[in-house]
Amino acid sequence: MAPATPALAEARSDRADQLIAAAEPLVGLQLRCGGTLPGPIAIPELAELVGRARVLRLKLGRPITAQDGHETVRAWVEVEPELDAEGQATGCRILVRHWQAAALPAEDSEALISRRAEIDRALAELTARLDARQAVLAVEADVPDLAGVAAAMRAALGRPWTDFVTIAGDIHHQPLHWRLLDGAELTVAGSARRWRARLIPHGLAGAEPNGFELCLTSDEPPPLPAPATGAVPELGERLVGRDLAPVLRQPIARIIANAETIRAKMAGPLAEEYAAYARDIATAGEHLLSLVDDLADLEVIESDDFATAPDPVDLADVARRAAGILGVRAREKRIVIAAPAEAETLPAVAEFRRVLQILLNLVGNAIRYAPEETRITVSLERKGDLARIAVADQGPGLDAEQAARVFDKFERLGRSGDGGSGLGLYISRRLARAMGGDLVVESHAGEGARFVLSVPAG
Amino acid sequence: MSTSHADPNPPDSAEATLRQALARGDAAQAGVAPVLRHLLVAEDHGLFAEEVVTRVRGTLADLSGQLCHAVTVAHGLDAPLPPEDPAVARLARQLAEIPALLAHVHALALEAQAAAQLRARLGLDPVLSPLVQALVASPEAETADLAMRFLAAEARFQRQVLAMRLPLGELPPELLHGALLALRECLGGAGGTPHPDFAACAEPAAEAIRANYDERASRLGLAARIVTGLGGGVVAALQLPHAGLGLFASALALATAQHREQVLLAIQPGQGPRLALMLRAAGLRQAAIDESLAALDAGPTPAEVLRLDAARAAQLLAGG
Repeated sequence: MAPATPALAEARSDRADQLIAAAEPLVGLQLRCGGTLPGPIAIPELAELVGRARVLRLKLGRPITAQDGHETVRAWVEVEPELDAEGQATGCRILVRHWQAAALPAEDSEALISRRAEIDRALAELTARLDARQAVLAVEADVPDLAGVAAAMRAALGRPWTDFVTIAGDIHHQPLHWRLLDGAELTVAGSARRWRARLIPHGLAGAEPNGFELCLTSDEPPPLPAPATGAVPELGERLVGRDLAPVLRQPIARIIANAETIRAKMAGPLAEEYAAYARDIATAGEHLLSLVDDLADLEVIESDDFATAPDPVDLADVARRAAGILGVRAREKRIVIAAPAEAETLPAVAEFRRVLQILLNLVGNAIRYAPEETRITVSLERKGDLARIAVADQGPGLDAEQAARVFDKFERLGRSGDGGSGLGLYISRRLARAMGGDLVVESHAGEGARFVLSVPAG
Repeated sequence: MSTSHADPNPPDSAEATLRQALARGDAAQAGVAPVLRHLLVAEDHGLFAEEVVTRVRGTLADLSGQLCHAVTVAHGLDAPLPPEDPAVARLARQLAEIPALLAHVHALALEAQAAAQLRARLGLDPVLSPLVQALVASPEAETADLAMRFLAAEARFQRQVLAMRLPLGELPPELLHGALLALRECLGGAGGTPHPDFAACAEPAAEAIRANYDERASRLGLAARIVTGLGGGVVAALQLPHAGLGLFASALALATAQHREQVLLAIQPGQGPRLALMLRAAGLRQAAIDESLAALDAGPTPAEVLRLDAARAAQLLAGG
């Protein structure tokens, strides 16, 4: 049965349930849920639905609910698996027919208050029990920079807690009404951090409190313990790749998605210059994202245990893929990428993913720095035991001095603001060498650059 | 009878087999009295009413017949196997071993029974409820079209129930998948099949059934789509006398993230508190809950339920 009305949006997934094409409003939701396009489906209920349709090989139609942090989206989604000649699902066609977004309901105030109290308790670095007049009865602190004030309070139990801290903007040193002190910013002798007081009243709601819990929290992290002399504390290995990159990716993806939303004026009409600002924000965000990826890569390839996993690969195939992936970007500058012809092959022994990464970097650079309406040539050649692949552009080229520096870490050759991190070629060369090959540049100023990647021939 | 103390004689395998057979017989006999007592005492209890049990049995046989028919078609014969054919009976028994499928078929029998009772008691038309009527008259072509298709599907369902038929296309996809696996197992299994030629046809038959299947066109698929399309107006579908049982059960299941089968069990006599809890979890106020409970003659909304907010009610339902 094909419903007569056209779908609101259409999307496709591949045999691994990766979203490979999608239209708004699905794209926005996918990005806001932290996903990419193409990339794994990041909307949990949609991912489940698509996976199920593909595995069962049945046409499904179901409502899904998703939350992106701001809105609850309810949608009616239909998934049609597409089968190949053997009856295996090669992917799915996804149709969205009904879309309703509603702001997340505000939490009711009581639940919110009790949750806030829980959070403050959990984050407090000093907690104290106060009586009805806000005099200190007991105090606990578990960070060194508050040990002093905790000791002072303990030595003078029965005095108001406000005697031991300096409250921002407070001129009378009398204990104020607790509601005025709740949330107050303050400083504490012995700590360089700024603190916030939180007073959680005890007793029956509505009545005057018969006591308080005082929690001091700070937005700043506690000072690191002074390093022991002689031994420099080492940062954990793979700090960026393992700890930072996953945390950074999502907020950055969000920045990009929101900026794109503004740029596309999806939320309403907008003056042209603001749309341009939004584009700048999105571009900067994308740059930041690739920088995070580069830094994670850098860390991996610089670690002692870095090794590649070589397999027989066809360099011609990798080259055609790289050209295909960057084709759209090249067309935007009316640049032609001349990739090896379909029939060409050049067997080599290397890690597919790494070779592709290097080629994307080389061809991407060529697109970025070559003038419009030029040609980028990707050519293959076998030389002794090495399989070589050359990426040549018709850009300004590099002089001898630049060619000598271009593979250095963070080398930008004086360029800025073009989305490069100065890490791509450095990483590419390290990767090439780790695979038993090399990456070199042959260029003379004024004749275009020619980067040659060599790996062991297969 | 099994003995707990050690046997002084050396173990004899023939005796051991006999002992096991006796033990099994004991267990079966021990089950007779409680089951029989339950069936006798629970005469008015809808869950195991003879009518319901018969419908479940008949519906499973119908599903089995359709699956076997698909095999004969794949084999080149276009003649349905008679229900008494050993292959059909065997597959029907196998289908009954799929708990979710059994629960679904049981729930549909209960749904039909309850719908008939609602019509007798309140004059509520099982096919054309006030809500369906309103949707059919909608100025939006898409809504009206959906409602018309649901109306037709509901009418088909009511007729099919009487005949103890359930087309494969009306099964939820997971259950259809399970039924197709059972078909393959039954025809290709080690026990052989009454029709050896059919074994090779199980796969093509399953493929043909898959290709014809479209959840969107099923009664439950249409109901879910209508309920989703109501958006904030879903409250209308959560009032049993207004929505009719078909849409009501789908709406409540979606609103509470419960299986539709669970909703249909909750409309049974004696389950008033559970139904009230579900309606509360769906965010309804007392007046609306009262209305649905009254339609089922399930008594007033328990005060304990009214003290809970929607989130807590949902938590309780989820076993928290």
